[in-house]
Amino acid sequence: MTDADEELSLLETLDHLLDRGVVIAGEAVVSIGDVDLLYLGLNVVLANVDAIIRTSQPKQIK
Amino acid sequence: MKLVVIGAHRERNDIEPLAAAIAVSDLWLSGMEVEESQPLGDRDLLLRVAKMRAALLDRATFVAIRYGFTAHGSEDAFAKCAAHLDRWRRVLNDFRDHVEMTLKVAAEAPRARPDRHDFESGAAYIRALHDATRATDVAPEFRKVVDETLAPLAVKHRWSNRDTASLEFAALVKRRDVAAINDAGSALKRDFPSVPFLLSGPWPLEVFADDHE
Repeated sequence: MTDADEELSLLETLDHLLDRGVVIAGEAVVSIGDVDLLYLGLNVVLANVDAIIRTSQPKQIK
Repeated sequence: MKLVVIGAHRERNDIEPLAAAIAVSDLWLSGMEVEESQPLGDRDLLLRVAKMRAALLDRATFVAIRYGFTAHGSEDAFAKCAAHLDRWRRVLNDFRDHVEMTLKVAAEAPRARPDRHDFESGAAYIRALHDATRATDVAPEFRKVVDETLAPLAVKHRWSNRDTASLEFAALVKRRDVAAINDAGSALKRDFPSVPFLLSGPWPLEVFADDHE
């Protein structure tokens, strides 16, 4: 496997890890430095716009 | 400590001793235990989780959980996953011997991505981005051959628009058919040298974990 192939394989693996699979509602703590500013109970998904569009129906984003 | 969850499994033996296992009803979650203060964006953690994910799939098929979900023991995991358990149980039983393969294909004519500055509202921008994504397509002759050669090897398959520059063909295949899928991919490479595509896998249940009825 060439270096380019290895890099492609790694990118593909990380794409699947970060952008696939079942999304579970969770929680997050928003912090600056060592100070916790916000605790969020999440029932929404933090994702990039492309990912949101792929899982949305057109009528839902009007 | 917290568990960075990787997947949902039917059997405890599918997980241990490769990864940590916690019970959720009659199913099991796999994951990697890390310190509470461990940032999930850490590059080394990502790579270790990716490696563990691949090792778990070698052992047995599981439902992939998107990276970023953490749990603190069985009670916490059950509270967060209860709504999914019936569906997971069904897919894990029905697709125990299956894996997913994906074929990413560059668009024949990539659409220009809309510029947010050209739109007055976020909703209008999202609509335009959606339209551009949905309009993306690959070379018809390439898609036809994929439908004729890869699709018949799959138990389920689906084309989806991922962005304005590519489409993805996802296939749920029996493990014994992975080699045949790879052979079909090699034939595609030979017959369509000018079409950029990437065939990858096997992957755990990702695309087809959510739509099982």
